[in-house]
Amino acid sequence: MTEQGQITSSRVGRIAALAGTGALMGINYLKHYGRRMVTGETGQEALHLSNAAAVYKTFSELKGGPLKLAQMLSIDKNVLPRAYSDQFAMAQHSVPPLSYPLVVKTFRREFGREPTELFDTFEQKAAHGASIGQVHRATRCGHLHAVKVQYPGVAKSLRSDLRVIKPLALQMFGLKENDFRDYFHEVEQKLLEETDYTLELKNAEMLVSASPGLDNIRFPSYYAGLSSAHILTMDWVDGLTLDKYVQTKPGQAERDRIGQALWDFYGHQVHTLRVFHADPHPGNFLVKNGLLWVLDFGCTKAIDDGFYRKQFRFLDPELLENQGALEKALEGFNVILSADTDAERREMVTICAQTLSVLAKPFHADEFDFGGAEFMNSMWKLGERNRDNPFLREVKGRRGSPDSVYVNRTYFGLYSLLSRLGAKVKTRGLTVCQNEPKHRI
Amino acid sequence: METEILPNLEMRNQLIEAYIRYLGEHGQPPVTVTRFCKDNGFDEGSFFKEFGSFDALEAAFWGGLVSRVADAVKAGAEWNGFAARERYLAFLYAFVEHSLGNRSMLLLRLKGVSPFTRFPALRKMEARFKEFADMVVSHGVSTGEIADRGLLRSFYPDALYIHFRGVMQFNLQDDSEGYERTDEFVEKTVTFAFELIRSQAIDSAFDLGKFLFRGAVEGEA
Repeated sequence: MTEQGQITSSRVGRIAALAGTGALMGINYLKHYGRRMVTGETGQEALHLSNAAAVYKTFSELKGGPLKLAQMLSIDKNVLPRAYSDQFAMAQHSVPPLSYPLVVKTFRREFGREPTELFDTFEQKAAHGASIGQVHRATRCGHLHAVKVQYPGVAKSLRSDLRVIKPLALQMFGLKENDFRDYFHEVEQKLLEETDYTLELKNAEMLVSASPGLDNIRFPSYYAGLSSAHILTMDWVDGLTLDKYVQTKPGQAERDRIGQALWDFYGHQVHTLRVFHADPHPGNFLVKNGLLWVLDFGCTKAIDDGFYRKQFRFLDPELLENQGALEKALEGFNVILSADTDAERREMVTICAQTLSVLAKPFHADEFDFGGAEFMNSMWKLGERNRDNPFLREVKGRRGSPDSVYVNRTYFGLYSLLSRLGAKVKTRGLTVCQNEPKHRI
Repeated sequence: METEILPNLEMRNQLIEAYIRYLGEHGQPPVTVTRFCKDNGFDEGSFFKEFGSFDALEAAFWGGLVSRVADAVKAGAEWNGFAARERYLAFLYAFVEHSLGNRSMLLLRLKGVSPFTRFPALRKMEARFKEFADMVVSHGVSTGEIADRGLLRSFYPDALYIHFRGVMQFNLQDDSEGYERTDEFVEKTVTFAFELIRSQAIDSAFDLGKFLFRGAVEGEA
């Protein structure tokens, strides 16, 4: 593949590409309904499959931003069909590289020096892409480094992409703009944060230093002196990304150990630090010699105490037994609004009880087996059901909290990683921590 | 007396410097050489020994700018390993970086001027650039990166010159931080251009053109 060859160039080009997806999806839906009229069968999965391919192709041409937005909205509504999810998982691995002269130019702008002046060796061709940049392999004093270089103008094009994608995403998921303004804002903020590598370095150093002594977890070192807003230098880690690792068919004991490390790492961050790595996709984790390496702290989320208590209150198994308590918790979380009618309240409580009975399941036992398709399938089914639910489609108002977007995304990602691993994990029941957090940003 | 015919580099540079300063301060060339020389303490004879006119002087300035950038990128440690596309990119990025010091001059001369417009003060820039572009194209042809299309090949440096002017044009209108948009413009247009001269698209367009032309001629006959 040629470098940068396929990237849609101008704003007009981007809009055209997105409009293309809209049209393609429309055609696919027409085909779908046409087939149903003829054969009487729905072929729902086939429809998602062809739409997912079209959506994925367009979004990956536009690089990270819109792709992540759509991904996040769908996770938050828990409406992500399996086909989309598989395609989205691939997205991170396929971005065309920048030319080396532009890499040099970026170095000159940020450091006033060329890559070869800062490193003993610097590979001109990128080793692989990152969501908004690319990674070069370099050496310095006999030490191997990974140097991430950001695409120029990413922040600008993110903003314009989001403006373009918003109406499309709203339509795609049947959302009302007014109700989701805060969610869009949250996602936009986070995506823009990711374009600042200085912030990523700070987040990485903070989370790494606050996470010592976790079993089987390792972090690369970061190098502030060799990093800037658009360049980030860390240790090169040779290892297999989590998805590739699974393909090597490791034994059950090792899968469980890696899965446990992952679970404990997230437990520590969310419940103790209340700041967490909010981008758990397979490319951000490497396995090497039975140890799990955590990469890429571009997307981290901090939550405050009030939100933490309200959100994780839902893990309490008592809520599934006691409808009144659940209704109260939902009111406290603005999922049920004071203007709702009794019928609406009852409907919302029922739907949330069903949703919780699936999503909170891993927390309700001492040990949970993520292996087998059963758990993930029950999540997909739940998503399908919620998406087709006429009540949820029609319900109005700004509900819930935008902070949930990244919490949900993180747990959704964590679940699907553990399920890919097929790991059995000691979830140690309800781990909600009522103490004050140890760290704040 | 022969030495007097050779260009006096130091004098040339002094004249250019004074002229550029004047242009920057007044927004237009001095009215006469006499006046310019008097104000700056030059002897009129030594002016005309170096340059026939203000246009010739300014042409030397622009030509010098392109030559200096071309020499600098050619002297880079990685130059020999670069493909034609990377050589051209390296030149453009270096030029944009270098030209920051002369941005007011560029604004004065090129703001809002179409890349197709030619005028005397730019003729040496065009010549120096095309020499460089020709060298890049030759390298590309020798490695197979650029298809050798006989007569059409001689047109590539001209096309690259228009592109180069387009880049300057874009840069002058760019108000993004660190001229990031210019970097994107350069990266994407160069990729596109090199894909075009490598692929069959030009051949096909040419073939189509010949066919249509033939049809038109036969239709008339």
